[in-house]
Amino acid sequence: MSIEIKNISYAVKDFEILKEVSLKIKKNEIFSLLGPNGSGKSTLLRIVSGDIQPNFGTVKFDDTMLDKISIIDRARIRSVMSQSQEIIYDFSVKEVIEMGWLEGKEFVTEKFDNALIKVGDECKISHLFDKSFNQLSGGEKRKVHFARTLIQMYNKDFETKSRYIMLDEPTANLDISHELQLIKILKKKSQEGFGIFIILHDLNLAYHFSDKVAFIKKGKIHALGTPNEVYKEEILSDVYDLDVSFDKTIKKISYY
Amino acid sequence: MMSKTFNRFFRYITFKQFTIFNLLTIILIFIIGVGISIGSFEFSVLKYFNNSLTTLEEEVLMNIRFPRVILAAVVGAALSMSGACLQGLFRNPLADPGLIGVSAGAALGAAFSIAMSAEFFPDFLLTPYLLPFSAILGSAFVISILFIITRGFGFEGMTYMLLAGIAINAFAGVGIGILTYISDDAELRGLTFWTMGSFGGVTWTLIIPAIIIILSTIIWTLRISRKLDLLQLGESEAYRLGVDIKKLRFDIIMSSAIIVGISVSLTGMIGFVGLVVPHLVRLFGGVNHHYLLPCSALTGAILMVSSDLLSRILIQPAELPVGLITSAIGSPFFLWLIFRMRNK
Repeated sequence: MSIEIKNISYAVKDFEILKEVSLKIKKNEIFSLLGPNGSGKSTLLRIVSGDIQPNFGTVKFDDTMLDKISIIDRARIRSVMSQSQEIIYDFSVKEVIEMGWLEGKEFVTEKFDNALIKVGDECKISHLFDKSFNQLSGGEKRKVHFARTLIQMYNKDFETKSRYIMLDEPTANLDISHELQLIKILKKKSQEGFGIFIILHDLNLAYHFSDKVAFIKKGKIHALGTPNEVYKEEILSDVYDLDVSFDKTIKKISYY
Repeated sequence: MMSKTFNRFFRYITFKQFTIFNLLTIILIFIIGVGISIGSFEFSVLKYFNNSLTTLEEEVLMNIRFPRVILAAVVGAALSMSGACLQGLFRNPLADPGLIGVSAGAALGAAFSIAMSAEFFPDFLLTPYLLPFSAILGSAFVISILFIITRGFGFEGMTYMLLAGIAINAFAGVGIGILTYISDDAELRGLTFWTMGSFGGVTWTLIIPAIIIILSTIIWTLRISRKLDLLQLGESEAYRLGVDIKKLRFDIIMSSAIIVGISVSLTGMIGFVGLVVPHLVRLFGGVNHHYLLPCSALTGAILMVSSDLLSRILIQPAELPVGLITSAIGSPFFLWLIFRMRNK
């Protein structure tokens, strides 16, 4: 039960963005992708989520090739949270969250209502449901989109099949308490059986909450393993071209 | 809880929205009743129910007023529905089939078929249907061009879309001008009558196929409400939620082209309805497309039947072009909309 990414290469015109990237995202794991700006993190996430096709290499979800999975079936096994565009019309918060609910024709009201209560509690946004989405603060909007990403995975038989949540810098624009709250929800989800694939910038946050970490630099995987395996001063300094020090006793990184 | 039980049956609309839908239906039936009762030839429509109409009165009622009012309702519904769909597709509240050149594309297509049919299709069997068909082609062409021009712009795409609309409107004006210039007398007459545009002089044989096609396209389009909602999150987000974006885009372009093309081919260009109506509907009850699309169609029908009624009674026994009435209502509304955006 995993997403297997093998030898992915991706280039736009002559510029190589990703070079032979291979990794494995397992159920019950938080897999963090770290690296400097422009290293190809977002592109890799877009390939794994199925937005774009790689030039070479394969992506497999539980032994099925990604391009053999229909668009609607993809929506049932993985949800993606990215830096979203603004919504022009005045939808209510509840309507925005409901957009993530996939049941369609065989809509069961009780199921949806339960799922709504669940994400409302988890993300602490129940009090916002009836507000207009456009009147929320930037941080609140992020949380609503996060709730939508979660509820997408709460539809039928999610206990029996593997599900993946992919997030592109979900903590940008969030204050530290909301950041921690979001990461803790993800930790809980991974324990419930979800596979989490997340792009992060905060090295300390990634260290404390990830099960696996990959450092990517100029489109290549630089280091891959558990946080304890790859958080080494020479690796970190090399990835960011910076003198990074790592205090093993308090498990904290500093670079200034 | 009234609303809880209600939601069991109507998933995506609220009780308030359902009430608005019902009210609009009642108003539409009422206004159609008024529309067939009033005209320059005065008699009581109620006489129909005890069979005391004279032959002349029956003729006026069944073959002049009734088709006219029904056509006005259907065209109003078509233009508003297409406005609502295009505003959803472009994620842009200023999309209106007239403003952005879709109607002009249809008009150019229609004018082309009037002025050129003798040259290209002499005594062609399907000649009466050539006009709506080339109008549909014209509007589909324009929507596709607009889509290519504005894609990837997001919210600021609005400016480009309106500018493209100006250019397309101007281009269509040139095309129609040239066609007028090279037409012979008979074609010129056909063209002039058609450009003036009105609901007058329609016959059942002409409008029944149009009504069937427009109504079935409207009903077919209602299926994509949910996908249009998801599209408001952005194209890539909608794709990740399982929406086949290419197919959705094609569906909306085709359905809008069909209903605008047929409407324009029958009644000429009627502006601003597609812009005003969806905005009114959103102001009343919300923005989700399960509510917006059907209620826009109803409101558009109401507005158009009323405008047609006004156009008939304002300067009796003469008639104002109905496009004049809708533009008189629509253009101040458009200015107000821009004003409101500035203050946002």
